[in-house]
Amino acid sequence: MTTKKIWIVGLATTVMIAMMLLGTPSVAANDQPSGASADVKIDNFSFGPQTLTVFVGTTVVWTNRDDIPHTVVSTDGVFKSKVRDTDEKFSYTFTKAGTYPYFCSVHPKMTGKVVVQ
Amino acid sequence: MAFFPIKGFLGTGATFEADLNLVVQVVMGVALIAGSLLAKRKRYAAHGVCQTTVLLSNLGMIGLVMWPSFQQQVRPALPEGLHKWYFAAATIHALLGVMAELLGLYIVIVAGTHVLPQFLRFKNWKRWMRAELVLWSIVVLTGMGTYYAWYIAPFG
Repeated sequence: MTTKKIWIVGLATTVMIAMMLLGTPSVAANDQPSGASADVKIDNFSFGPQTLTVFVGTTVVWTNRDDIPHTVVSTDGVFKSKVRDTDEKFSYTFTKAGTYPYFCSVHPKMTGKVVVQ
Repeated sequence: MAFFPIKGFLGTGATFEADLNLVVQVVMGVALIAGSLLAKRKRYAAHGVCQTTVLLSNLGMIGLVMWPSFQQQVRPALPEGLHKWYFAAATIHALLGVMAELLGLYIVIVAGTHVLPQFLRFKNWKRWMRAELVLWSIVVLTGMGTYYAWYIAPFG
């Protein structure tokens, strides 16, 4: 293999590695920096993701994708939505670190958790 | 009813109020049947007290549990949501339940008071009361169906 070919292969490899690194987010999809937002879907009588990890300042938006009404109620009384019908949203901005378990007050078997770092 | 726990006690996906309501409704259904047996034994005063107590207790359960629940969760979805069992079962139950409660109140007013004019009073007691008992039984069954559609089927 000539020096020129080695250079070309090396350059191509470097570019591919760089593209792979740039294409991969440095944080998980749910780990958004402060001021960002994260989504929780309510579907088929469950919250998804069930555990969401975000940074302080993140606004979490719950969207009811079910064809049945649901609520989002903090177990510790931090936040409480009204009954949300299909495609309706509820959002809350987390300003303090901690773990925030929540549930649907209509179907208390539906539970979820937001971990704020 | 914030003073109640959140989760129910029957091991389904129901709220505490829903479980409590189900148990109370079954007990009231049994009480109504027991009350009708009292009438059969000609113990009319006890029969009247029993049936009236059930009727008024049910009025309380409607006001505290069923009516708010229907207003919040079912009414906004009507009439579009009627093709879904979740809403249809609750709506049928609500309609029949209102009819049963009103019919019961009418019977109690006719039987226990003299406030209604003569043309609004009936005399064939057995027919009216049996009709009420049959209607009430259907309401209890549709209530169980609603409970199943809301709290058992989705988590089964």
